[in-house]
Amino acid sequence: MSDSGDSDVAWTYYKDRPEWNDVTPVPEDEGPNLVVVIAHSEKFVDVYDYFRAVLQNNEKSERALHLTKDAVELNPANYTVWQYRRDLLKALGTDLRSELDYVELVIKNSPKNYQVWHHRRVLVEWLQDPSQELELTGDALMQDPKNYHAWQHRQWAIKTFGLYEKEMDFVDNLITDDVRNNSAWNQRYFIVNNHLGWSDLNVQREICYTLEKIKFIKNNESAWNYLKGVLIHDKRGLSGNAVVTSFCEELYKNKCRSPYLLAFIIDICDEAIKKGETNCLHNATRAVELCQALATKYDKIRSKYWNYMCEKFKKAQQEEENNKEKAANMDE
Amino acid sequence: MNHEENKIMAHRQHVKYFMRFLNILPSSLSSHDTTRVTIAYFSVSGLDVLGAISSVSLDLRTRIIEWIYRLQVHPDKNNGDMSMCGFQGSSTINIDLDPPNNHYRCGHLAMTYTGLCILLAMGDDLSRVNRKALVAGVKALQTEEGNFAATLSGCESDMRFVYCAACVSYILNDWSGFNIEKATDYIIKSIGYDYGIAQCPELESHGGTTFCALATLSLTNQLHKLSEQQVEGLKRWLLFRQVDGFQGRPNKPVDTCYSFWVGASLKILDMLQYSNYGANRRYVYETQDTVVGGFSKWPDTCTDPMHTYLGLAGLSLIGESGLLEIEPTLNITKRAYEHLKSLHAKWDNEDLHVL
Repeated sequence: MSDSGDSDVAWTYYKDRPEWNDVTPVPEDEGPNLVVVIAHSEKFVDVYDYFRAVLQNNEKSERALHLTKDAVELNPANYTVWQYRRDLLKALGTDLRSELDYVELVIKNSPKNYQVWHHRRVLVEWLQDPSQELELTGDALMQDPKNYHAWQHRQWAIKTFGLYEKEMDFVDNLITDDVRNNSAWNQRYFIVNNHLGWSDLNVQREICYTLEKIKFIKNNESAWNYLKGVLIHDKRGLSGNAVVTSFCEELYKNKCRSPYLLAFIIDICDEAIKKGETNCLHNATRAVELCQALATKYDKIRSKYWNYMCEKFKKAQQEEENNKEKAANMDE
Repeated sequence: MNHEENKIMAHRQHVKYFMRFLNILPSSLSSHDTTRVTIAYFSVSGLDVLGAISSVSLDLRTRIIEWIYRLQVHPDKNNGDMSMCGFQGSSTINIDLDPPNNHYRCGHLAMTYTGLCILLAMGDDLSRVNRKALVAGVKALQTEEGNFAATLSGCESDMRFVYCAACVSYILNDWSGFNIEKATDYIIKSIGYDYGIAQCPELESHGGTTFCALATLSLTNQLHKLSEQQVEGLKRWLLFRQVDGFQGRPNKPVDTCYSFWVGASLKILDMLQYSNYGANRRYVYETQDTVVGGFSKWPDTCTDPMHTYLGLAGLSLIGESGLLEIEPTLNITKRAYEHLKSLHAKWDNEDLHVL
């Protein structure tokens, strides 16, 4: 937030307020060596001179509480002001509900500020009342569906107070609005992981949901990552779920060459190799071919990486062939 | 802007740019009032990576060093308490406070870390740093969960400050304030289903926090605690952040700063060479202001010292000529890092003499 104080005509400096004339302002002591000096407005200097005085006197009063509001407005990132404000709220027994309304306003103006969200969290902890948090974070996420602070606060409130019930609908709406919203996919995982659980049924349901979304937009890393995340909880692994593997092969047959699809098939091959369960579709030779296709055609920006992966699979391929030879020799 | 012209480093302009920030800033930056040390860090480290430390006058160098030392919070004179020790980010609360308010004058981990980096880049020998006190200050900020808060006075705790605490401990060559096992546990719990690493467990994987986590594992020699699957997953997740430049999260726009955060993470995993240097370089140069200096996060937007420094550091990682090499874990130049190593050797010697 910029310091727009100088344009504020009606403003009276603290040093000119009779009700403050019992306080001696404490100027900032920069010392003799001036570097990275901010040319603060006169208003900023005035407010903070009085804030330092209040802090030094440990003054716990309504006027001090009001002063912290002015100080916050000039710099919402000043964590000391916020902390002193919390001390004041406690000492004065201030109605914390009105403080919730106040911090909501500040959050609306500075939705990406760590200190305001921390203040909010402390208030909710004190009140043990999370009833407004879903709406508050919901509003912030309407403005910016990927606001990290809002998601962090929301997850904290949900986890601390068990507010899972309607969260899947909320996430569903966000994913419907923007299927590429990675934060929403992450939240989906959070709900299943903490609330619904990874039962076989839920795993299968999440897979179906994700495949539908991939059908809709194939080149979406968020959905592919989520699919892999869900399959961590499938006992059969990445390669053992027939719905998934046949879905991938179907896409491939229909000429889909999304790098995420090809990378996914490579991962299936990789798992099959590691488990010693390769088959005609998932083996080192296929992985080598896919890496080469990615490197030369479908994901050229990562060509070096795919060549690096290719070398790994070539070794596995060599082993596969050696094994075949051995088996053939044994037959003779 | 003529993009052809913009492929050349506006070296002289960037030096001037950082010099301006070291002197005076407009009132529009008032919201950075408590974090001025970080602005100084980006500027000093920026000059360092540009190979321009020698163009900082002796007078300015002295002023910077004295200013940083003045922000050091010393142990409580009455009871010797060291929990608030560290560096403050500015002189906003640099005042004498009596109990019960004395804890308000306390260090901030990000400022302690960047303050030490400034001293190192300026060639200071850290002889006036109260190492024992700073380590006690670090120790006071680790939570049960294993992560760190930034300050004693009411602050969130997350991966950023795990990293800052690790850097401070590494620079001071003293890990007694940092529980490595707990921090490692926290980091591993913060690995997501996509193998990126988040600010805290279960939050969305993020390029910046992934850097903080990996650099911490590297500084604490704990990279081996990652499973092969986690390492391969991280490599993939990080390399998939490249679009032309790098993005911080899947399906987010590219931003200059991730050329460092993601680039350095890849470097720590010895994988940077598998990224596409040409595209990365082209993107960062598109965000360069060749007239007044500086880099911005997106082309044709406002420059700032953080994106300028991280843009340069990102270019340095991929071997841009005319830039000094960066030590990715501490995010300082190799030159400053070598100076630190010489200090460590000196401290070791002193300890031997005491014995």
